[in-house]
Amino acid sequence: MSTVFDFNGAPGTGWSQPKPVGEDAGAQIPGSIRRKNLPRWPRASEPELVRHYTLLSQRNFGIDTGFYPLGSCTMKHNPRINERIVQMPGIDRIHPLQPDSQVQGLLAIYYEMQDMLAICAGMDSVTLQPVAGAQGEFTAIRCIQEYHNSNGESNRNKVIVPDSAHGTNPASASMCGYEIVEIPSGPDGRLDLDALRSAVDGETAAMMITNPSTLGVFEPEIAEAASIVHEAGGQMYYDGANFNAILGKTDPGRMGFDAVHYNLHKTFSQPHGGGGPGSGPIGVKSHLAKFLPSPIASRRVRAEDDPPGVGDGFCYFWEEPESSIGKVQQWNGNAGAVVRAWAFYRRYGRDLERMSEHAVLNANYLRHRIMRDFGNPQMPPMPKDGAPSEVVKHEFTLDMTPVKEATGVTAKDVAKRLLDYGYMAPTLYFPQIVPECLMLEPTETESKDVLDKFADDFLSILSEDPEIVKTAPHTTPVKRVDEVLAARQLILRHPCE
Amino acid sequence: MDQLPNLGRETEMLSEMGMSSIDDLFADIPEGVRRNDPLPLPPPQSEEQILADAERLLGANIHLDSRPSFISAGLARNFVPTMVPMLATRGEFLTSYTPYQPEVSQGMLQAMWEFQTMISELVALPVANVSMYDASTAAAEAITCAVRVRSKRSSQPNTVYVSEFVPPHRMSVIENYTQGVEIDIKILPHRDDGTLDLEAAKAANDSCAVYVEQPNAFGSIDEGLTRLRSIIGEKTALIVGVDAVSLGLIEAPGNWGADIVVGEGQPFGIGPTAGGPIYGIFACTKDYLRLMPGRIVGQSLDADGKIAYTLTLSTREQHIRRHRATSNICSNETLIALMGAMHMALLGPEGLERLALRVASATQIALEAVVSIEGVELIYPESPVFREFAVRLPCSSRETLERMDSMGVIGGFDLNQWWGTMEDCLLIGCDERTSLEDIETLCSALSASISEAYS
Repeated sequence: MSTVFDFNGAPGTGWSQPKPVGEDAGAQIPGSIRRKNLPRWPRASEPELVRHYTLLSQRNFGIDTGFYPLGSCTMKHNPRINERIVQMPGIDRIHPLQPDSQVQGLLAIYYEMQDMLAICAGMDSVTLQPVAGAQGEFTAIRCIQEYHNSNGESNRNKVIVPDSAHGTNPASASMCGYEIVEIPSGPDGRLDLDALRSAVDGETAAMMITNPSTLGVFEPEIAEAASIVHEAGGQMYYDGANFNAILGKTDPGRMGFDAVHYNLHKTFSQPHGGGGPGSGPIGVKSHLAKFLPSPIASRRVRAEDDPPGVGDGFCYFWEEPESSIGKVQQWNGNAGAVVRAWAFYRRYGRDLERMSEHAVLNANYLRHRIMRDFGNPQMPPMPKDGAPSEVVKHEFTLDMTPVKEATGVTAKDVAKRLLDYGYMAPTLYFPQIVPECLMLEPTETESKDVLDKFADDFLSILSEDPEIVKTAPHTTPVKRVDEVLAARQLILRHPCE
Repeated sequence: MDQLPNLGRETEMLSEMGMSSIDDLFADIPEGVRRNDPLPLPPPQSEEQILADAERLLGANIHLDSRPSFISAGLARNFVPTMVPMLATRGEFLTSYTPYQPEVSQGMLQAMWEFQTMISELVALPVANVSMYDASTAAAEAITCAVRVRSKRSSQPNTVYVSEFVPPHRMSVIENYTQGVEIDIKILPHRDDGTLDLEAAKAANDSCAVYVEQPNAFGSIDEGLTRLRSIIGEKTALIVGVDAVSLGLIEAPGNWGADIVVGEGQPFGIGPTAGGPIYGIFACTKDYLRLMPGRIVGQSLDADGKIAYTLTLSTREQHIRRHRATSNICSNETLIALMGAMHMALLGPEGLERLALRVASATQIALEAVVSIEGVELIYPESPVFREFAVRLPCSSRETLERMDSMGVIGGFDLNQWWGTMEDCLLIGCDERTSLEDIETLCSALSASISEAYS
């Protein structure tokens, strides 16, 4: 389709704006640094642009358009009330440097969210500042680094990650200057305690792990793992990407973790917006609390001369932790995401547990529906379970090797063919420890009917003529895109000529 | 609970799996770590109750549009065209993930490729990514990127020079991102008139990078920065932080030697939103392309030879390269960048210029009005300004702001919060919506507030 640069109307004053308030606008800027040529942006009217972006949106797939079983990403429904709330002037038109007295409502929401997240994860203190999961990891590892430094243990220069970890874990620790020690998973895909024992030593700063693992399987020996790391003087870091699986059933505090990040854009339904914004608050046990980035929402009983507040008897204020690492984002985090997540949490309240129950119910049901006829000779070549396990948590993996061996159809081919059926593809080739991996996470917001239909469609793809599958997709806005060509020719912008 | 379509169908689904209870699904969690008591949280609410609470809580905030407001300091009280939030929150955009499957993500991919183009044009550099978290992380990762590219060939390896007039909050982010990897940050001093000390900047010659801002933390425009390239040498990365709107009026750094340009994208696309979500701009020359952070969209062809877009150069990224990745960034600010793209497209070149002129004009008029108040002095009277300016008062800035607050005016930002030596200094910020009436109100509140300090 055409690009926005095809709109090139007459030079005008663009979208209607008032004139500058004074004569001689811009006269203070010396001629030597005045801009000579304006950027070659499009010149378009509102009706043209509304149509352009509407047509673009129709070439984009979201949860709103179909089932999105993208493992590890928790693509659940995004309630629309949340979008209405964040457009209120009490959030959209707030400056982060306004005095505390002017943002009592925002502070109250921050306080409530810090409290709720601490309860859900079994942590003592929470900061809402990190703006993405990866930034949460980075922030927590920085806090752990300062903790070790303050104990005179700056020699601890290693961070342990399992080979099934999200790529952000080693990347975040590496950005803090740590050496990464990767430990292999056991043959069943689970954490190997012997491998962990031989990896820890006096230089261990921390271990980063998610539970349930990226295979969707709960690590039953997690408390033992925490003891091993703690005995060596290291800290335990919980990657909260998979928190949707366990909320209300267990928590990282009980498992022995010292620090955790939450993905508000996964568990708490901040919409993912094609790649962000996210929000990655972190929670820590009390010994790490003084290192958290500043500021954190706090409160005291309201005194008579305090500002009016929100009517709950408290006066809220921003507070700087004693030995804060400083800031990781310039302001107070993605407040808009925090407010959306607050509205989402309020919908469940103490029943957040139901959310995790249904996420796990749906994942197990879908796995069962796909795999129930495994071994039946009437069936087409079938995948194997990515990890042997009676039950999975919120997601599961399939090893498509048997399909590939029988028909030449790869995991990627099946993923692309699913697009023709109106589904988003599952996560592909991750975790890397499962060969020909597809990773599926249905979330709690899909109905049984959708899961049944998806399982039937998935199985029917395995019976299709392999040529059709290998050349898929066939019905999407564009056919399979040549990614190698994109990297070779590197056309990264329109020429604007 | 209206979010759970299978509520009431649990037994049916469980029995299909040969299970009898939800607990069977959690039997793999060992007793020792299981939570057996309910979460100590309030009961669930209906949508209408949530809306009422949101209105009550957010309604207790005093928002910038409810009174004359002169607080900026890195974010803009802007006006976002109505079209922008309406279209960007269409479900197909709003509820999509990172476009790993290009065949069904052409809409967002093309919109981001167009965004990259508009940013590239704005700053006059060939390459831009699809966003960083904000201006501060964009600056921090520009520095780590420059060190990766330059360190081995530099006579000052791991050393970067940063202007002392970078806002402290941004500096704090830069420190967090550079400390662990042991980058040595040296401070570039400014002269008494506020301009960068170009003589001192010679020390940065053949270091890894220099980071300066135009305008700086006090809103000052420094002509001398355009001579930095010849001072620091060809091999040192010149990183410039900008006010994106100012580039409708002031020469783009790509045209005076910048290698990397970063900045806050927020004025295009979204309100200040209490500090986020906003988005950072990151653009660079081709020398930095393969070691830059963030997602990049490239044009390609599909199997039928039709033009198609896809994420490219992913081998830089954490999901492929893991601990050797150029950054840990995964989720970014794409949706806000989309809002920015829509806003920029609607402005067009002449609209951008007008926007910049509106901001420049309001700033200059406010400056002249404020300095005519007795006892108020500009801190850097010789520097031209854009969006904001710093003044010294004859009394405490914190108390002055408190008195102005009680008069219904957000009078600026207390610079003492950034620099402990500036307890009588105020940063006054303007924007395209600052009216002459607002400026009059500001001046009468400021002068009344100063008089009160002496009464």
